Amino acid sequence: MTHTLRHGRMALVGAAMLAVGALAGCGSGSDTTGGNGNTAGNSTASIGAVTLAESGSSLLYPLFNNEWIPAYASVDKSVTLTAESSGSGTGIAKAIAGQVQIGASDAYLSDGQMQQHPTMLNIPLAVSAQQVMYNVPGLGKNVHLKLDGPTLAAIYEGKVQYWDDASITTLNPDVKLPHQRIIPVHRSDSSGDTFLFTQYLSDTDAAWKTSIAYGTSVSWPAVQGALGAKGNSGVVQTLAATPGSIGYVGISWLDQGVQQGLGYAALKNHNGQFELPTADAIQKEAAAGVNQVPDDERISLINLPADGGYPIVNFEYAIVNSQQPADVATALKKFLTWAIDPQQGGGSQYLTPVHFLPLPAAIQSKSQAQISKIGQ
Amino acid sequence: MKPVPKRPWVGAASLLLGGAATLPVLLSLLLLGVLAVDAVPAVRVMGWHLVTDSTWDLGNLYGATTHVRGVPVPTGAHYGALPFLVGTLWSSALAMLVAVPVATRAAILTAYGLRGRWQRMAAVLIDLIAGLPSVVIGLWGLLVLVPFIQNTAAPVLTRLGRWIPWLDGPVTSGMGLLAATLVLALMVTPVITSTLRELLAQVPAEIREAGFAAGLTSWEVVRLVCLPAVRSGRVGAVALGWGRAIGETMAVLMVGGNAANVLPTTLFSPISTVAASVAEQLDAALTDPTGMALHALSALALVLMVISVGTSTLSRLLVRRSAQFRHAAQSPEDEEVSPWTSRASA
Repeated sequence: MTHTLRHGRMALVGAAMLAVGALAGCGSGSDTTGGNGNTAGNSTASIGAVTLAESGSSLLYPLFNNEWIPAYASVDKSVTLTAESSGSGTGIAKAIAGQVQIGASDAYLSDGQMQQHPTMLNIPLAVSAQQVMYNVPGLGKNVHLKLDGPTLAAIYEGKVQYWDDASITTLNPDVKLPHQRIIPVHRSDSSGDTFLFTQYLSDTDAAWKTSIAYGTSVSWPAVQGALGAKGNSGVVQTLAATPGSIGYVGISWLDQGVQQGLGYAALKNHNGQFELPTADAIQKEAAAGVNQVPDDERISLINLPADGGYPIVNFEYAIVNSQQPADVATALKKFLTWAIDPQQGGGSQYLTPVHFLPLPAAIQSKSQAQISKIGQ
Repeated sequence: MKPVPKRPWVGAASLLLGGAATLPVLLSLLLLGVLAVDAVPAVRVMGWHLVTDSTWDLGNLYGATTHVRGVPVPTGAHYGALPFLVGTLWSSALAMLVAVPVATRAAILTAYGLRGRWQRMAAVLIDLIAGLPSVVIGLWGLLVLVPFIQNTAAPVLTRLGRWIPWLDGPVTSGMGLLAATLVLALMVTPVITSTLRELLAQVPAEIREAGFAAGLTSWEVVRLVCLPAVRSGRVGAVALGWGRAIGETMAVLMVGGNAANVLPTTLFSPISTVAASVAEQLDAALTDPTGMALHALSALALVLMVISVGTSTLSRLLVRRSAQFRHAAQSPEDEEVSPWTSRASA
């Protein structure tokens, strides 16, 4: 090496070699490992090992990571499942880009996104709900305030500023409310929970629908003192620390919120009844939506005309690209079929810890029809 | 026989080292270029309103797409980043106001006031705090500082609000500008202290001893000899701290209150900063079918870079101005010193 470099003109070559060193290294590296890689690839293919990666909704993450992954390991040993809590938007983007096989989302894809990516499927895996929680000092433990969409909209618009405002006291004539300032808390990160809450407000308040509308992230009205918090955990923490605050929280966080001393509201449904987010009321709401669910299953279950139904209910979606390599498609179909089967992955032993409910039978068959499209 | 020159090695090495040396500059230029190009569509839609309007709205991502000046955007989209800018500038500037005097005194104490084991221990402790992950400080802010502000500090401070405009209420929660300021101050103080301490330790002992020989007290030696000697390094330390305060994301996100579309009116108002907003909005921006939200975030990142460069330049200018001021005031000051000398000798 030193010998060749003694020649003056070799200096240039030496410099060039250093300059392209990385490139040359890569080339030779891939040459040598290429052969090994091929044999390794062949051997793994013959075993049939496939990795299914999931990324997205923090609401679905506990179900995936704590319940489904350990359980599925004994169902199909050849498949490795990984889960990541990154937020619905990131999960959707990763699924579209092909970086993960399953994007977990509380919200379905918009029309605009479906036009751009027509091979994407929105497959409901389970039924979830959301409650409105508050920190009102002096309120009894078992008192559930009655609230409706227009009142909540007025609170988030800063029009109703105190807990003893007439709009709240007329809904709750039996409850003594303090003259305490209301502090609305919203999600500062993009969230399926924001999507659900703003959809409820849009469905029940025409002014909200035209001014703010709904989405995973909306432009909140300018209210002095209003707070934003990150994640369901952040909202619960903020509510607990801030007397007079109100916020919306995913159902899997209900227990934590109650433990921290928060109350939760009975919300007015489409039929004018005030309902708590019980399993029964959530089921009634989901059942009312069954007949309206289209084949692509992109539908809002918010505020449906259901007798005794709780108004903020949604599907938890797996966002999946139907175009997959054969071995991935097979593994993906098998896993999703297992996940929505109430006798298996959709069983209460997995769903109850996170307060989710299994899909109604009619929805399960629609999801099954979508699952069968994968790989075709 | 003539010895073989080692030219080729030198040439290759200097090429390599030269490349390595220019890499940071090239990378930051590349970053700036990519951000600028990526921000163009958002700037076309918003123009100057991007930094002068107070409404930040990604638009209805589930609704129809409209066209603004020929660029497709979601219906209702409006990218006005003024509240983020105001939040960033207020919180970082107030943090510097708290941090710089504290850090200067702490650096002087650790460099000259302590000896041996104690000095090493103080240095290690300060570096330890400087290296704390911001999420840890944010958590401390959330669990300790925010309740303290809400329950203890605010009731006292708001009484002064009758006379001092930014101190009056309403105190809706402990989260807001004051909490963000104090958390940022806590984060940048050790950074500035650590840098400044190293600088002060390098001031030659001869110069300091000359000061003592001239009869200056130890505080006068620090003020008139040591601090002027490290003036340009101090700028760097302050600029470094300010840069960190501006770019800090996590801690501000945790204690700032994440105000939406509203400008702070008191020290207790919830705020949001540019850096925190980029982090918070990214997930939603990824679901924008027109991709405009991502361009808007690039524009925010570009604004953040411009602010960082701007504050760094500003701190340089400020110190140069004060240096000129000092030089102008130098001669009478010299005369002021002589009575001290006579008194010390007396």
